[in-house]
Amino acid sequence: MSIALFLSVFIIAACGLVYELIAGTLASYLLGDTVFQFSTIIGCYLFAMGIGSYLSRFLHRGLVARFVSIELMVGVVGGFSSSMLFLAFAYTQAFRFILYAVVILVGTLVGLEIPLLMRILKERFHFRELVSHVLTFDYLGALGVSLLFPILLVPRLGLVRSALVFGIFNAGVALWSTWLFREQIARTRGLRAGCLIVISLLGGATVFADRISSAADTNLYADEVIFSRDTPYQRIVLTKWKDDLRLFLNSHLQFSSRDEYRYHEALVHPGLASLPGAHTVLVMGGGDGLAVREILKYPNVQSVTLVDLDAEMTHLFSTHPVMSALNQHSLTQPRVHIINTDAFRWLDGNTDQFDFIVADFPDPTSYALGKLFTTAFYRLAAKHLSRNGVMVVQSTSPLFARRSYWCIVESVKQAGLHTYPYHVYVPSFGEWGYVIGTHDDWQPPQQLPSGLRFLSTANVKELFVFPVDMAAVPSEANHLNNQILVRYYEQEWKDVAH
Amino acid sequence: MSSRRGFLLGAPGLIGLWRKTDRTITGGFVNDSFPAGHRLRDHSAFAAPKQQLRVPLVIIGGGMAGLNAAWYLDKRGFHDFVLLEMEKQAGGNSRSGENEVSRYPWAAHYVPVPAKGESVARELFEELGVYRDGVWDERVLCFDPQERLFINGHWQEGIEPHDSATAADRAQYRRFNDKIANFRATGQFTIPMERGARTSPLDKISIADWLTQQRYDSPYLRWYVNYACRDDYGALAKDTSAWAGIQYFASREPEDKGPLTWPEGNGWVAARLIEKLRRYLRTDAVAYRVERAGTKLRVLTERTEYLADAVIWAAPTFLAHYILEGAPAADRFEYSPWLTANLTLDRMPDQRGAELAWDNVIYNSPTLGYVDARHMSLDTHIDKTVWTFYWSLAEYPPAQARQLLLSRTWSDWKDAILNDLARAHPDIHQCVAHMDIMRIGHAMARPTPGFIFSEERTRWLHPLGNVYFANSDLSGFSIFEEAQYRGVEAARAALKRIGRG
Repeated sequence: MSIALFLSVFIIAACGLVYELIAGTLASYLLGDTVFQFSTIIGCYLFAMGIGSYLSRFLHRGLVARFVSIELMVGVVGGFSSSMLFLAFAYTQAFRFILYAVVILVGTLVGLEIPLLMRILKERFHFRELVSHVLTFDYLGALGVSLLFPILLVPRLGLVRSALVFGIFNAGVALWSTWLFREQIARTRGLRAGCLIVISLLGGATVFADRISSAADTNLYADEVIFSRDTPYQRIVLTKWKDDLRLFLNSHLQFSSRDEYRYHEALVHPGLASLPGAHTVLVMGGGDGLAVREILKYPNVQSVTLVDLDAEMTHLFSTHPVMSALNQHSLTQPRVHIINTDAFRWLDGNTDQFDFIVADFPDPTSYALGKLFTTAFYRLAAKHLSRNGVMVVQSTSPLFARRSYWCIVESVKQAGLHTYPYHVYVPSFGEWGYVIGTHDDWQPPQQLPSGLRFLSTANVKELFVFPVDMAAVPSEANHLNNQILVRYYEQEWKDVAH
Repeated sequence: MSSRRGFLLGAPGLIGLWRKTDRTITGGFVNDSFPAGHRLRDHSAFAAPKQQLRVPLVIIGGGMAGLNAAWYLDKRGFHDFVLLEMEKQAGGNSRSGENEVSRYPWAAHYVPVPAKGESVARELFEELGVYRDGVWDERVLCFDPQERLFINGHWQEGIEPHDSATAADRAQYRRFNDKIANFRATGQFTIPMERGARTSPLDKISIADWLTQQRYDSPYLRWYVNYACRDDYGALAKDTSAWAGIQYFASREPEDKGPLTWPEGNGWVAARLIEKLRRYLRTDAVAYRVERAGTKLRVLTERTEYLADAVIWAAPTFLAHYILEGAPAADRFEYSPWLTANLTLDRMPDQRGAELAWDNVIYNSPTLGYVDARHMSLDTHIDKTVWTFYWSLAEYPPAQARQLLLSRTWSDWKDAILNDLARAHPDIHQCVAHMDIMRIGHAMARPTPGFIFSEERTRWLHPLGNVYFANSDLSGFSIFEEAQYRGVEAARAALKRIGRG
């Protein structure tokens, strides 16, 4: 009997600690700064336990029934804590608030447990023995779970399922208590039914835990990760959800296979279709081969040079069955030449001329990337652009980052080119912008290749019309010695996020 | 047996009792100029010259002052001169090095964009191709981000501490900037300094005392001013003339974008000048004695004795006393000793906060931080680089600092440098493959209180017979523009003297 009693102390102690560990680990995963997260979570949790201990004095009658329902509440709140927190992080802005609310709620409930239990047991043991035994098993439980957590629970069960399993343990202790203390309870049936409901709820949830925890373990790529690799330059992650393939570079979405045709058709065809005599094409960035796929629709193009920094990226999109199917094996066509090097330096080191130049770089999220959006870069690219050639630049969103967009347009202009800004709606990105730069006056094309899914001769001219909320705003140009664009960009996307 | 022995030896390792090991870092001292300097000071025996040559003009000292004097002479069509440099490599404080990762500077690493009035500087840069049709080449204007500061556990953009500055600190920054703008408006703080400088009581006190008098007590502002003095003058604020401290801030327009810089710092300028002036330049040529011979001067080196009509003394002024007949001791000239180190990093260290900048400073460090040699690279991805680490030993009196410089081993300095960097980059020990250290005993002039408007300094502005002084230390501080101005002015005067001007 007494062993059984103290075993339940052991279990509830373990449960109490595990929720705290889960909250700390999860916060470190999602927010970083481990020291800060663990310190504040442990602090709040211990403080909340103090609140619980204090509140225990206000409970007078029906202590066992109260204890059982508190156990059930801990089971529910603690058991669902990590699922709740993952979902809160993915879908709300209030992650921190919910995190500390959960920690304080669980802490308060756990703080009630031991004082209540000691009062329930005080008739059965000497006070000296009682304190000694309860605290001994309390600390043993803490030791047990703190060893189990890193060795078994996180690697084997994952955070979501660990919480659910320990929630079931809490509910189990509650159910067991209805037998252990049955003579002290008025209506066992109702409590037992409650226990069984909670256990089946938590048990049922463990079946779906994989869905939530895979989202968690892959650091919140919402879908199944089918490929991920850290190259010397970036982290490449490819996800799949039904028929939707998504590419992330350093967790920035690059494309979704459902609508990338809109992005790439708009990137390539307005420029290239206007050049019936184009023979040579240069693509910088765009190691996914999707822009090249569009370029190869022109029989007049004799050679495509693709300059992308990351050899693993171009290798992947040349050889991986899923990815090379998506770009229709464009990177292994004989007309295509791949060069893996830094684009700015490569341009600086040769004098090749191109009829059509595509600058499809990641957004200017750092000063390093910002160099590829400067007047110096466009001036250099213009030297490689043949007399009647067209250059097109991926230029971020004119809606979400309006100043950034017009800053890029201004930079192309100050490099001495005529500019023709345009935009397109890509559902997975939102409104997206480009700018065409030419040496001379230029007109959008009258004809397009057949078989396009988005562009037509009717809608291509509309791309060059900007609604009022995206219209030009005065902006400085982006220079190597004053990268105003990086600062605009950071500010504007921060405003979007909040 | 052997396995048991292996186990016994391995057991302490298993439980982690072996000493924690860092990777081995190669390197040593380079470009030491002490031996030649000490021979001159101690009047040691030098070999007698093997030949005598008559040449109208000799320039002694192949740093920026001497190179610019030669550049000016050559450009004005005067070719009858030689330029003597005692080291193997000319360039002085603008020397540079190169390894498989990058070129890198050994000391001076930038030139502020010359203002409109600095016509000679603009002429030089036009000739070197970085200034064309009124536009500076954007490849040599320092890229963004230029500066950052490690403070409160992370890097912030810009050197002026602002992340934890209070409203009161910011109010003092504003008041200071307004005050500086007023000084600028007087027209007395110019580059070159000689053009605007008027005797001022500001020179009588230190910039630290001036700040106190003006009720600037913000620790951040005071740190910033102290840093500026250590960086440009190698001296603490309490050892720097208030006039010179104000000159640092007031002599340039604040909106100037720049400065001009290159991976190898001012070594780029030096290398181009050396290339142009190769036929005049004699390296490894210590001018150990300059004597009067009637109206002429005899300049003695171990190879050749030059019989000259005039000499341009572009070497540090204090050396004249040891070499030039009749030159007085330049006792009030103080020089800061410096330590610079070039660290080759084969991977980029961890860090928190703002991106790697060109100039990277650690708050409250005795050192001056480091400059990233690959900052001016066009590459977007950089995984190896060279950092030039600067340390002016400003806390000590110069003589004591020089002793310290000589008495410590390379390994001592290496550890001190890595420990300093480890505050901002905890894993720096694992990232550095090689470290060369250069010790400069008399690196730059210190504008101590009273020096700028002292008779001692102004005395050297006049030629001593037919010897014209040209070192930047005549301005009280060592910066490129002062060296160029002094070199060109001396060349002008010397040309006049020998009837070619």
